[in-house]
Amino acid sequence: MISNRHEPFQNMIDEALVAGTSASAQPQLDEHLQSCAQCREYLETTTRAIASLGGFSFEVDPTLQAKVSDAISLRAQQLEPTQFSANRLVMACILAVALTVAGSFFDIKFSGLLASVLDLHQAHLQHGLLTFWIIPSLFLLLLFPMLPLLSRRKERIL
Amino acid sequence: MFDDDVTTVAFMERGAQQIARNLRRKDVAFLQTLVEQYQYRLVRYLIYLLGRRDGVDDLVQETWLRVLERGSSYDGHSRFEPWLFRIARNLAFDDLRKRPTFSPDSAQSEDCDPAALSPASTAPSPFLLAARSEDAQRLAHSMQTLDPACREALVLRFQEDLSLQEISIIADAPVSTVASRIYRALATLRTQLEERKS
Repeated sequence: MISNRHEPFQNMIDEALVAGTSASAQPQLDEHLQSCAQCREYLETTTRAIASLGGFSFEVDPTLQAKVSDAISLRAQQLEPTQFSANRLVMACILAVALTVAGSFFDIKFSGLLASVLDLHQAHLQHGLLTFWIIPSLFLLLLFPMLPLLSRRKERIL
Repeated sequence: MFDDDVTTVAFMERGAQQIARNLRRKDVAFLQTLVEQYQYRLVRYLIYLLGRRDGVDDLVQETWLRVLERGSSYDGHSRFEPWLFRIARNLAFDDLRKRPTFSPDSAQSEDCDPAALSPASTAPSPFLLAARSEDAQRLAHSMQTLDPACREALVLRFQEDLSLQEISIIADAPVSTVASRIYRALATLRTQLEERKS
């Protein structure tokens, strides 16, 4: 098979137009182009092919932008309550964590002191704190992350 | 010259970060300016990708809605265009997957064989309708029959002026594959121009 002596230079031309030629290859290519009409024509045709892409001008529906803008505004309005309720959910979770931690801290540190002041049994006071403070806040803490799942289920049922 | 390049890159980075900030805030007014700025380019990209005009407007709208919803995932460290075109591409492929004629292999093909992605359509070629110059008219038919992956690489490289790396991210293909697609597409167009000349 006879190799085409122009092929390496034509590959270089393609590479130069697509990815940019390396500085070391450029003088070699320039020198070849000066003496080779076939490669010059190859370069000219390829450049013409690329330039012809600019000759395609597509029609755009003049109402498209208005339609897209309306759709964006509508979707943004729909997204706002979701964002708001997500923020509220996070705040509620933080509050539940704070309540649980505060309840546990109070139970550990001050239940003895409070029991002596109120003249109660420390174990009874601790049971009371557990029942009316720590467990409800823990329950709230576990409930909040489940709310989105529950609301999605409700939407599906509806 | 080097200083100019540095300034341009810095300007582009600032622009990208500004876009990222506003997308995170879901700034509707800012998004509408982006819609205006990128409308034609998005339409053109989708026509090159799909080889048809119908359904493109719906995809453009879906793309911008996706940008609004998932804008926080754009970090502003790279140019906005590749991120935008990748969203449009994913939506176009989702749409094509719903069509019975779609073959997933054709979407990743390296050959510039006749269009496999574009479903058979009786509508006139969008390239023929859009051809404004003599050469564009000559190439309109070849453009229609080029592999969509090759057309996509052509428009991104020569019309959008994206780098091969950026195109490889959009097309989810290695840089060498992207380059090969462009070489093949150029070979097809060159042959067409040479045939007409002879």
